[in-house]
Amino acid sequence: MTRVNQKSSSSTGVSRRAFLGGTAAVVAMFALDAAPGSKMAQALAASLPSDATGGAVNGWIQINADNTVTIAFGGAEMGQGILTGLAQAAAEELMVAWSQVRTQAAPASQSYITGGSYGIRANFNAMRIAGAQAREVLVASAAATWGIAAGSCSVTDGIVTNTVTKASLSFAQLAKDAATRTPSASPTLTGTSQFRVIGRSMARLDIPSKVDGSAVFGIDVRVPGMVYAAVRNCPTIGGTLAKTPAKPAGAIAVVPLGTAVAVVASNTWAAFRAAEALSVSWTTPSTASQLNSATIAAQAQTLMATGTPGSPAAERIGDAAGSFASASSKVEATYSLPYLPHVCMEVLNCTASVTATSCEVWVPTQAASWVQATAMAITGLPASAVTVHPTLLGGGLGRKIEQDYVSQAITVSKAVGKPVKLTWRREEDLSHDQYRPMGLVRVRLGADASGALTSLAVRTVAPSPLFQRGWMAPTGNDNVEGAEGLPYAIPNRLVEYVRHTAAVPVGFWRSVGNSINCFAVESAIDELATSLRVDPLEFRRRMLASDPRTLAVLQRAASDIGWSSTPPAGVARGLAISNGFGSIVALAVEVSQPTTGVMRVNRVACAVDCGFVVNPGQVESQLQGGIIQGISSAFWGQTTFSNGVASSRNFSNTRMLLMKETPSITVSQLQSGLDMIGGIGEVGVPPVAPALANAWSRLTGTRMRSLPFFPSANHMDD
Amino acid sequence: MTAMTYNVNGRKYQFDADSGMPLLWVIRDIIGLTGTKYGCGVEICKACTVWIDGSPEKSCEKRASEGVGVKITTIEGLSATPVGLRLQQAFVDVQAPQCGYCQSGMLMAATSLVARSPKPTDAQIDSALGNICACGTYPRVKQAIRKATGQ
Repeated sequence: MTRVNQKSSSSTGVSRRAFLGGTAAVVAMFALDAAPGSKMAQALAASLPSDATGGAVNGWIQINADNTVTIAFGGAEMGQGILTGLAQAAAEELMVAWSQVRTQAAPASQSYITGGSYGIRANFNAMRIAGAQAREVLVASAAATWGIAAGSCSVTDGIVTNTVTKASLSFAQLAKDAATRTPSASPTLTGTSQFRVIGRSMARLDIPSKVDGSAVFGIDVRVPGMVYAAVRNCPTIGGTLAKTPAKPAGAIAVVPLGTAVAVVASNTWAAFRAAEALSVSWTTPSTASQLNSATIAAQAQTLMATGTPGSPAAERIGDAAGSFASASSKVEATYSLPYLPHVCMEVLNCTASVTATSCEVWVPTQAASWVQATAMAITGLPASAVTVHPTLLGGGLGRKIEQDYVSQAITVSKAVGKPVKLTWRREEDLSHDQYRPMGLVRVRLGADASGALTSLAVRTVAPSPLFQRGWMAPTGNDNVEGAEGLPYAIPNRLVEYVRHTAAVPVGFWRSVGNSINCFAVESAIDELATSLRVDPLEFRRRMLASDPRTLAVLQRAASDIGWSSTPPAGVARGLAISNGFGSIVALAVEVSQPTTGVMRVNRVACAVDCGFVVNPGQVESQLQGGIIQGISSAFWGQTTFSNGVASSRNFSNTRMLLMKETPSITVSQLQSGLDMIGGIGEVGVPPVAPALANAWSRLTGTRMRSLPFFPSANHMDD
Repeated sequence: MTAMTYNVNGRKYQFDADSGMPLLWVIRDIIGLTGTKYGCGVEICKACTVWIDGSPEKSCEKRASEGVGVKITTIEGLSATPVGLRLQQAFVDVQAPQCGYCQSGMLMAATSLVARSPKPTDAQIDSALGNICACGTYPRVKQAIRKATGQ
């Protein structure tokens, strides 16, 4: 078959052969730099099983006989390009050509949790060090061979050259000896101005396999002797299986799973059909009747008025209440946001093979080390007997950090004594999500007589993914990102969190707290600017005089959309800023109203400063993708609940933006320095909803304070 | 169970299947070509798009019996057509895929469009590619189609 060639690389993708099976290996061990100290990072680290090392990354560089290099990858490639970004870091320091680069999944025990847009921030330097260590021992071997100093050697494209005699040796020729040498703990890194691979739009290593059907996602895994399972999860949150249903004709087994039941059959469709046809009796908790969207919303209103905030407050500077009371101009507004499903294109699935002495798991996961711990807990096997094969992910978005689908597959394989691929139907995937929390956010802004913002008070009422996992004290603060630490010069600030106790399972959804609070805060800023009759760009600019990075990003987005010019007739513009994940994003949007009550997004100008850009092409696609997901969510995204049963079923009632509805999106990239490197996976989402609401308000005079904007239009028909 | 013979990507496959089984699952689970994806099972997302006698069709609700006596082309066979290969190359050149899960369906739809309309307009592209992509690759997919058609 003719294969498509990528100019500068060919990919081995995520291979399953033993990593150290090559003919010669240089093993470069390195320790993770201190991980950024965010709440999520701390919580993730604190939650790690004691026998896992998910908080610390180890990496290996292998030199292959054909002088290619294989770089171990400890994260999850779910479309965000991290596989390529980290390989760029190692390849730069190794001084190999991009076409020599291969990658392979690292063992689960040495993987890292993919979340919080930390991939580059937490691992980039470590991967550079690994590459530099490997290069240094290879050069040391060459120097020893020639009896010269290492400084008399040069390296190009994986070839070491004696600069005096012009003799050369390939990495492959040197690898065996190099592997016996001890790498330096602090190898010499390439200077920023010498970068040839880092900072360039290197072709993604996973892409060739994604255009010819050869990419292996979890759902594509095939294991000899494998049978297929489908699940019915209890439709009601908190419900359990009352009794195991009888095995349907043609099925191989029915396996009880506590809150669900699995049917095993000879192919996916037979399993789906059998699961659908099962007559299941469930025991539902009496509290299920409380799990209605209207009830949850009413509880949120009560909590807003009388709830006890987390203590101490997430942010308290000056006297926000006193300043607000005496403000010349004020805005007080409350914004509401729904529970949101993740909607990964690849439904949840996991393949497991459990025997008396071993357990293998093939799974699209953001948390391979947790999968290992899950398998150990279910099988009772030691870590050495559990092998996790992370596959490519058909989207992750925070959902594939969870272990529910993983534990189901392992339990079913253990029960039937065969390899099992367990797949959730789309209907199960959407109705049993661990949703982005709903939120009710009250913002109070006060300005003095000169129109300067003097006080900001934000109170966010939302369920807590951290608390639900036992990672946070009852009095802790969650979901305050996007409200605390705002870049604006505001002398008095109070940011409070009130935990909503609704039992709907909530989780990590691309940008979590930032997606909640940015909508409220950036909408309220515009509301105040409007009431002060100040241009929203000018209003923000005045408050950013002491934050030149954010100011530059804002001005770039505004200039890219042509803010100073009059928009075409029937078009209005809106702005929003989001500082999160170590990066700064500003959006300027243009919207119109083709028919009454319908919003059309015509143009989006995005500017981003993520400190340092590793791969400009990837930064662009992540921002474009985040903006598109942000538009889908702002327009239509929500899951509602009735007596504990989720509304979301399929794309029929979970509408997604289509190509024909997608605006033109430009992405301007600003840089502030390698030491300020930030994340890019999530940052595109938060500013979308407020920028659209701000533009719509200017277009129509109507302020939209509730998401989604168009809940009754969320049906997608064929 | 019914004995069936399929022609997929120019190759013959003989197997026994329930005639009510969707074509998608015959292709994925029985024939073992997993490039064609399950996304919704209700003919909305188009991740399961294959060609039947050269025409793009959603395979998730087609019955197994509808795959008999026709020529089926999947993503694995796309590069056998010059237009398909050109589109694949363009998707790589502009680095269109992100997670990649919907891209098989996108490519089957895009290739079919370009085969019919060698210089498709933006409106034609929008109309032919109703595939859902949760990553938001639409701008680059459109760019790839323009590039492959010299626009």
